Amino acid sequence: MFEQLREWERNRHDYAKAWKQRTGGKVLGYFCTYVPEEILHAAGVLPVRILGSHEPQDVTEPHIFGMYCPFCRDCLAQGLKGRYDYLDGIMIAQSCLHIRQAYTSWEKHRPREFSYYLPMPNHVQSLRALPYLTGELVQFKAAVEEWTGKTIANADLDKAIEVYNENRRLMHAVYELRKGEEPPLTGEEAMEMVIASQMTDKTEHNEELRKVLAGLPTRKDGRDTGVRLMIIGSEDDDTEFINMVESCGATFVVDEHCTGTRYFWNEVEPRHDRLEAIAARYIDRVPCPSKDWVERTRIQHILELAREWKVDGAIVMQQKFCDPHELDTPAIRKALEDAGIKTLFLEFDVTVPIGQFKVRVEAFLEMFAEEDLFD
Amino acid sequence: MTEYWRWKEYRWHDEEVDWRAGELVTAGVDVGSVSSQAVVMVDGELYAFSSMRTGSDSPESARKAMDWAMEGTGLTLDDVGFVVGTGYGRVNVPFSDKAITEIACHARGANYMYGPGVRTVLDMGGQDCKVIRCDERGKVSAFVMNDKCAAGTGRGMEVFADLLAIPIEEVGELSLQVEEEPPPVSCTCVVFAKSEATALLREGWPKSKVLAAYCSAMAHRVVTLLEQVGVEEEFAITGGIAKNIGIVRRLEDEIGVKAQSAKYDTQIAGGLGGALFAQSLLKKKLNAN
Repeated sequence: MFEQLREWERNRHDYAKAWKQRTGGKVLGYFCTYVPEEILHAAGVLPVRILGSHEPQDVTEPHIFGMYCPFCRDCLAQGLKGRYDYLDGIMIAQSCLHIRQAYTSWEKHRPREFSYYLPMPNHVQSLRALPYLTGELVQFKAAVEEWTGKTIANADLDKAIEVYNENRRLMHAVYELRKGEEPPLTGEEAMEMVIASQMTDKTEHNEELRKVLAGLPTRKDGRDTGVRLMIIGSEDDDTEFINMVESCGATFVVDEHCTGTRYFWNEVEPRHDRLEAIAARYIDRVPCPSKDWVERTRIQHILELAREWKVDGAIVMQQKFCDPHELDTPAIRKALEDAGIKTLFLEFDVTVPIGQFKVRVEAFLEMFAEEDLFD
Repeated sequence: MTEYWRWKEYRWHDEEVDWRAGELVTAGVDVGSVSSQAVVMVDGELYAFSSMRTGSDSPESARKAMDWAMEGTGLTLDDVGFVVGTGYGRVNVPFSDKAITEIACHARGANYMYGPGVRTVLDMGGQDCKVIRCDERGKVSAFVMNDKCAAGTGRGMEVFADLLAIPIEEVGELSLQVEEEPPPVSCTCVVFAKSEATALLREGWPKSKVLAAYCSAMAHRVVTLLEQVGVEEEFAITGGIAKNIGIVRRLEDEIGVKAQSAKYDTQIAGGLGGALFAQSLLKKKLNAN
């Protein structure tokens, strides 16, 4: 049922190349989920999220500090190795310094015909954030128009907003089904679905989601749900890790990261000024920890997800050296533990040491089942 | 050539006990990255064990350890009602009925070895370190492990013993024979241990002082791990390094808590916990039939 989504997720480059050939359109690689994809879609551009490949590499050392996160290095490595050479443009919306370094280094060593730095404000809790970002989006739209030679009309924006909102609603609907006693999909499948959404034409992704949703409620995959887990943290597209955990007697029923709910949770609410409507969506979305300050709004959201999806335990992960997540992790773990939800903290690298993580995961899961092991 | 790193491989069984008179014979086999132990229990009491080096073949190591533990007792595998495999090679124990992590097993083993008052267990093994919090039954409530690198673990100590040509069993004692505690070595990395030690010896440091500097660095490394979970008394140490008084003493000084003294070989804690889980599981199995 998830074969097509998995195929897109695994063969992302083939998809983008084929799309380009089929449509003659431009493909833009973006570095962070704060990029307002609606504007690109309205101009007929395919935005694809740049992710790493989880292979050891030796090409980024001269360009990025060793203490920058493994994810940003892995992303840059893809560019330097030429795996994204089909891209016509690249862009980033400001989130953290590490990924920005990957972007600027890529721009320098693998220049594309279009490159854009969108200064997405970090202080999204400020009242001035919305007018500021709206102004930036006016400029961004003009830059995209100049690049593509296409004027983006309100009607184009309305259509793009609807396609994107529908994508969010459909993925929400899939997540709703995971609330049940026996979720009809695994966490791995859910992750593949969201990652596929970040690299495919949303119109096509929507069509596939509708098919999936038609069969999903009656799907019986015969697996035991086991311990209901949530995964929380930084960028994480490590499907191999998810698979390993789910093979140890557990199922991820929900998540809170940017290859999951953080990407699609909020919709664009209609406003007369379309750019302001889009800006408001990105200002008000569930924030990345680099923007969740002074108040930590994510914690409440995480607790609500944990409650609604009836979570037993949470794996709190982060990319090694990810400062924003490091800052929030202790507070998040405390809030969860106070709510009676056990947590396991893991630091991810480009490649995950499955053996060493497996013993931690198994010991964590034993904490839920250990009563069976005593007299 | 003398192998200074080599610790004693041995077996033991309680000659006072006739296992045939017992009802439940169970075993725990702990195949670690460096050492393997097989522990046999009769009706929940320690009956026999073996402790040896893990070979390149985990199933073979498990088999050897088990055979050795049973040697001279008349026991065969068929007499053992339930076997739990644990440790790094827990899924490679061919004759085991269930695999349980060494984290759960060390907590339960420590509970037996040191009594129900133990709340914090520090397992210092061959290639990793774990801090485990547990309840009065030895049930895990929280744990933390060291990261990928094996610096400051048993294997590192072995390399150091070899470098300085000091038998591993004497390392701890010798490291305490210093008038003043030297600053810890800057790096506990096993690979860099050689250059670290050589440099200090060249400066004219006696071996005891070099060892003191290394033990102190290892203790400090473990303390940072302990602080992540917090030390609630009573505090117990399991694993091979628990036998190294040079590290244990420095550790105690740094955290200000005394470790419980061991009545058993601390290396068998994992296997012992496994055998105890095996006993509970065997009871459940028999009750179900």
